[in-house]
Amino acid sequence: MECSFALTGKGYVLIAADMTSARSIVKMKHDEDKVKPLGPHLLMTYSGEPGDTVQFAEYVERNLRLYQIRNHSVLRPHSAASWIRRTLADSLRSRSPYSVNLLVGGYDVSEHEPHLYWIDYLGTMATVPFAAHGYGSYFALSLLDRYHNPSASLEEGIETLKRCIDEVQKRLIIGLGKFKVRVVDKDGVREIEI
Amino acid sequence: MAQQRSFNPYTENGGTILAIAGADFAVVAGDTRQTEGYSIQTRYAPKVFRLTDKAVLAVNGFAADGNMFVKKVKQRLEWYKHAHSKDMPLQSIARLIQTMLYAKRFFPYYVYNILGGIDEQGKGAVYSFDPVGSYERETCRAAGAAQSLVQPFLDNQIYFKNQTGEHPTHLPLPHVLQLVTDSFTGATERHIEVGDGLEMFVILARGRGSQELEGVAGIREVTTSDERERVFVINRDLKRD
Amino acid sequence: MELNGGSVVAMVGKNCVAIASDLRLGNQALTVATNFEKVFPVTDRIYLGLPGLATDVATLRERFRYRVNMYTIKEEREIEPETFAHLVSSTLYEKRFGPYFIEPVVAGLTSPERGSKPFIAATDLIGCLNFAKDFVVCGTASSKLFGVAEGLWEPDLEPDELFETISQTLLNAVDRDAFSGWGAIVHVITPEKVVTRTLKGRMD
Repeated sequence: MECSFALTGKGYVLIAADMTSARSIVKMKHDEDKVKPLGPHLLMTYSGEPGDTVQFAEYVERNLRLYQIRNHSVLRPHSAASWIRRTLADSLRSRSPYSVNLLVGGYDVSEHEPHLYWIDYLGTMATVPFAAHGYGSYFALSLLDRYHNPSASLEEGIETLKRCIDEVQKRLIIGLGKFKVRVVDKDGVREIEI
Repeated sequence: MAQQRSFNPYTENGGTILAIAGADFAVVAGDTRQTEGYSIQTRYAPKVFRLTDKAVLAVNGFAADGNMFVKKVKQRLEWYKHAHSKDMPLQSIARLIQTMLYAKRFFPYYVYNILGGIDEQGKGAVYSFDPVGSYERETCRAAGAAQSLVQPFLDNQIYFKNQTGEHPTHLPLPHVLQLVTDSFTGATERHIEVGDGLEMFVILARGRGSQELEGVAGIREVTTSDERERVFVINRDLKRD
Repeated sequence: MELNGGSVVAMVGKNCVAIASDLRLGNQALTVATNFEKVFPVTDRIYLGLPGLATDVATLRERFRYRVNMYTIKEEREIEPETFAHLVSSTLYEKRFGPYFIEPVVAGLTSPERGSKPFIAATDLIGCLNFAKDFVVCGTASSKLFGVAEGLWEPDLEPDELFETISQTLLNAVDRDAFSGWGAIVHVITPEKVVTRTLKGRMD
């Protein structure tokens, strides 16, 4: 029932993920943060097999930090996403694959453009204007087909994101509680209350 | 230990059929190869049958069911003729086929039917059916083993799909015959269950000239009465490998 | 193959070759992206189509770029299309018992010293090569592509005619396939240049 959305706009990427962590029919937690800042201008949501998710997200986070320390430069969004994809693709054919689905959003400070990548546990990567994972994708993708505007202001982008979240809360048989929303733009990463 | 045995009443005999409606004619074609698995049972087993002088039926799928079905349709048409002293109209044959197929909804005839001919307005018509009787009138339809090869080609060449500009709604007969031949040579080239021979039935509307068919190789007329719709059969060779 | 969908076709013309793919990336019945290209340049005159499991599309693209770069450095010349086809074949056969789920298509021209001759080839997912003289097809719409290509293709097409033929073949084939479509991209390779065009297609 996990669910995450992301969309690009004029100079930003908005990323949202639900905050519940459930085991079977029990809600164990309702304030789980599944949107991880990976760098000064990079965000990632993660969902999938409990355990794998946090382990993999922290592995990615530390490796990107290590790259930054070694090279005195931050990986650009596409390079970071490619490295993450390759890590998952290699993991897929290993003895214990990670089952983690990701949305990676970043702001490229050298070309001044937002980028969004849809990545699944197989290591499939797609460069997209908007994306979703989980059951929410069946509602959100059609809404985003209709309402997404790549040159929308942040306020308009938030409105569109709210539509997606509201639709999921309305139509999905289980309510997902609160959503954590973060945005990345030229000023870096910050949280947004909706 | 008790062994579970079961009898499978169906098999698949390959082959492909195709029908195209023109303004005042229809063409119904099928290859003549009959297969089971990787074996060729015969190189000449007709899949296209003249029902009346204005209706031709092509059956594809399980050959035994197909032959039985055609036999029963022909019987019903004969009863109709004795009762009403005329041939059944094409759209009525189409509805008859639907009810006959749906009557066996829970033990279906394992066949795809395509009915071609001339309707009551004297226009070319094609009706296509699924095994349980869903049917639709169309301009062209392919069915059988090479349906997936032939149908997109027809979409392009008959419906002019993905082509811009003005297009005719109906094509001339020689052009249609050429497309049918090309479809089957193409299917023969790439599908192992298609080949040996091509049998094309051409149904001409009442009063329509047959000049375009003069000099066509392997043609023969199979019309049964004068002054009405006319039916011709064209036999061509297809590759036998 | 049906997990992500996608199709590729390549055709030979008169002193030219063309290769084209659709743009859909799906997750079974759900379309995730409509800008997912499956054809990549290998050299200036060789293109490689990789329809199949999308994760392997990206991985193989990276691997082939690495192996072709190594070849170019070691041999101090550009790789020939025949050689590259064999490189593809052996790369796939290396994984004979745990394969990449990809059916590659190679299209290119031989080097000018060898007459800039058209070359196309395709392999199955474990690298069995098929050197065709006319056209090759791969992916979820392969049976449809075979049917249309067999009807439309003819020998010695000029580059513009070849472009029309391959475009019509691909568009009409993918329109009958639920797993492929959502636009297409076509590359026509001639001795002088490569012309790449993006086609609009049905978006259903």
